[in-house]
This record gives sequence, C-alpha cells and structure tokens, in this order.
Amino acid sequence: MNLRFIVSLAWSYGFRVIFRGPSYIISSMSAPLTLLFIVSILSHGTLINYALVGGFLGLIASVALSSSGDAAFMRLQLRFQDLYVASKVSPSDYMIGLTLSYVIFSLPGIILYAILGAIFHIFTLGAVLALIGIMCFLVVGTSSISFIVSSSIKHVRNVWGIAGIMSVIMTVLPPTFYPYEYIPKWALYALSATPVTPAAVLAQWAFGLSPPMINELYIFVIETIIYFSMARYLTRWREN
Amino acid sequence: MIHCENLTKKYSDGFTALNSVSFETTGRINTLIGRNGAGKTTLTRILSTQLMPTSGTASINGMDITKDVDQIRRSIVSIPQEASPLGILTAQEQVGMFLIGRGHSFRSAKEESRIALESLGLGDFRNLPADKLSGGMKRKIFVAMAIASRAETVFLDEPTTGLDPISRIEVWSAIREIESEIFLTTHYMEEAQDLSEHVFLLEHGNIAASGTVKDLLKPFSGKVRVESHTEIPDAIKIGAMWISYVTADETSEYLGKGCTIKPISLDDVFISRGVEVES
Repeated sequence: MNLRFIVSLAWSYGFRVIFRGPSYIISSMSAPLTLLFIVSILSHGTLINYALVGGFLGLIASVALSSSGDAAFMRLQLRFQDLYVASKVSPSDYMIGLTLSYVIFSLPGIILYAILGAIFHIFTLGAVLALIGIMCFLVVGTSSISFIVSSSIKHVRNVWGIAGIMSVIMTVLPPTFYPYEYIPKWALYALSATPVTPAAVLAQWAFGLSPPMINELYIFVIETIIYFSMARYLTRWREN
Repeated sequence: MIHCENLTKKYSDGFTALNSVSFETTGRINTLIGRNGAGKTTLTRILSTQLMPTSGTASINGMDITKDVDQIRRSIVSIPQEASPLGILTAQEQVGMFLIGRGHSFRSAKEESRIALESLGLGDFRNLPADKLSGGMKRKIFVAMAIASRAETVFLDEPTTGLDPISRIEVWSAIREIESEIFLTTHYMEEAQDLSEHVFLLEHGNIAASGTVKDLLKPFSGKVRVESHTEIPDAIKIGAMWISYVTADETSEYLGKGCTIKPISLDDVFISRGVEVES
C-alpha cells in the first residue's frame, strides 16, 4: 500500500478543495440543510432530531455518491487515472485516497451539523461513537458504489446525470430524514439496497429515536463488505 | 528499448485497432505517426500497461508487458493523450503528487517538482492553480512529471494536440529536456520531423513504414511537391486537390498554371500513400 500517495491524494483533493472551491462545500450542504428545514417545518419541529441525525448520513453519503461523477470525469476527461495506472499506485491506493478526500471534503458540513446537534442537545457519548462508526462504514459502502458506477460510465456526457440521480435516490428516498417506521417493511428492505437505509435505521436506534432493528445491522455490515469487494474487482484499472 | 511482436488488439465490438504490429525501437526519441484512429493511442496504452493486448507480445527493456507489469510500471511514465491537470491544484502540487505516487518522499517530491518546473520556465507559475495557466503551461506540467520522475522510458501520447504554434514549440523544447528513452505519438509531421530519431508510420493498425526521417524521405530525393486545384495527370487526388511529385527540372511545366510547389516533408510519406494528413 502506497500510504504517502493516499495521504497526498486525500489532502490535495479533499482539503485543498475546501479552501480553493468553497462553493462546492455549500453545494454539498445545501440538500441536507434544505431537507432539515422542510422536515422541521412540516413536522412542526417534532422530527427535527431525525433530520439532524439523518443530515450527518445524508451529507457524507451524498458527497461519496456524487463523487462517482468526479471519478468518471477524472478517468474519461482528465485522464487522471491513466496517469497513475502506469505507476506504482494500485487501484486500492487510488480508491482509498479518493474516498478519504471525500471524508475530508465533508468535514465542514459535519462540523456544522455537530454545532446544530449540540444546540438541540441530541448527543450522548454512546450515540456519538455509534454515529462515527456508522459513518465510517457508510463512506466505505457509498464510495464503493460510486467507484463501481463510475467504472461503468463510458461517456462523459452521462457522468453528472448518473451521479445526480444516484445521490438523490440513494440518500433522500431512504428514511434518512424521517422515522423508518413510517414506511412498510417491504419498502424498508427494498431500500436497504442502498447502505444509507441501514445506516439511518441504526443511527435512529443509537440516538434513541426509533426502536432497534437488528436485521439492518447485519444488512449494513454484509452489504458494505460486498460493495467494497465488488469495487475492488470491478473498478477498471488496466483495461481489457 | 521497446520490442513488439505480432501485437494485436481487437475490441469487444469486433473492431481491430492493431493488427499484428511488430517493431523494435533503436533511437532515444522514437515517434509513432499516424492519422486519428490509426491505433497510436491503443498501442501506447498497451505498451504502458494500461490496456491488455488480445494477442502478441511486447517488452520494455526486456520486461514483458503482461508478466512483468510491476517492474515496468516502476520504470516508465506514460502521459495520456489530452491529459489535463486538476484545475484546483497548483502545478507544483500536481507534479509533487505524481512523484509521491512513484515512491518519492514528501520532501523529495516537493524539491524535485520545483526543479523540474523551473527547468521548463514554470518557476514563477508553480504555485498558481492549474486552471489559471495557459494550454501550453498545462501540457508542460505533464512534461515536468516525466522529467522529474527520471523514468527509463517515457510515453507521450500526442503531447501537443490542440496547442497553438508557440506553445507547441515550447513543449517540444521541454520534451528535449527529458533524458529518458521517449516513445512519442503524434499526427503532426513537423513534430515528428523536428524531434525524432526514428519514426514508425502506423496505418490501419499496421506499421506501414519505419526508419529515420532521412530514410523515410529517401524515395522523394531530388523531388518537390506540386499541388493544384485543377487536375494533374497521374496525380494523387486528396479532397479537391491534386498532388504530384516531380523533379526540380520538371517544375517549369507547372509554373503559371495556378500550381503551388512545396519542398518535401514527412507529410509526403503520408500523401504518397494516398492518405490525408492533418496540419
């Protein structure tokens, strides 16, 4: 593993972007903050804690999922990936570096949500630790999906459309910003194909907002492993 | 040294991009010329371990491109066609990150990237985000990567495509700074003529001709090119133009008839084969 490259890519593509392209940060935060506002208004404030907890997950998942556009653009248009194929960098180094850059890129939004969470007194130590664990798994799962999808995109013209569709469907549709009990079980299981659904169920459980649902824990762990393994094998590096 | 034997690439849609290509490089700067779609990028990507061949073998300095992939990747740099730097990062950050990817320490990457960029006249611009640099400067960032990496073999796939004439000359000068063996692809004949020690002409996935520029121009020795928009007997017709090759003594026949007489260049290696060139 080329750790120095991973750090360098994560730092350059995550941290540098925060300071040199702040509009991207606002763009990544706009959807979760808008949904937080809408859910609060429509529920007369009763579901604000759900929307706050969901905001953490929605933010990190939407950044990771929409990054499929970035990854495809970097491969097809900038030829950035090609530059590193013919070098000592492995596909795993590249994927981990980009994934960490998305985590760094999400930090301003996470800090903002942490401040809001503190204002609304939603945190306990156990809940925070659980949330961190859930977010780590979530970023691995969603980034893996992102790499699988970006590898299958053959034309730049499809890049942003597909990334946008994925980001909305996989983060807004699941019970990220509302209680998971609001939807029928079959719909919940169907939506569990996106790691955001089990992540939201587990987070609502950890914050004492909804009853536990242990099946979603198994689904979350298993599908994260499956998506990560698929990404490792399906991500195009040396092409056939 | 690059050695290819019957290298073939067929894509899943049935298109044959390379059809049993065999050659061996001899000079320091070897250039592959050919029209768009001739197979230049496919060949470069196969040789630089980015794409698997369908059949055939190839080696770089004795290392097999399918068996010794890790060794080859440590010893080469491949700058893809139309590669573009990340606009948000500075020139120095891009070159530095590339060197770190090749195993340099953070300190060495910073120092080596600074030296390489300064050697290409980008010293004053190295801390500017790439999206503020001109097209020529952006291409030089990649040449700086090749220089700083000190790789044994450097692949440059159409490094000057889309650049204005001044930027092209600047990039050519930069390419000369690279001390490694260079495998360059281009469809600009002037570029091939100016830089190469050995030229390979790729046509429809095959090496149609090869040799030094002098070798390739030998059949035209003592001749000039006559171009006309009206028909010339026994001439090659390309588009709406007739082109013929005549000796200097024969040019008098064409004077005053609206013909243009030009000296021979590598373009004529293409034209004589009935293939249009881009300029």
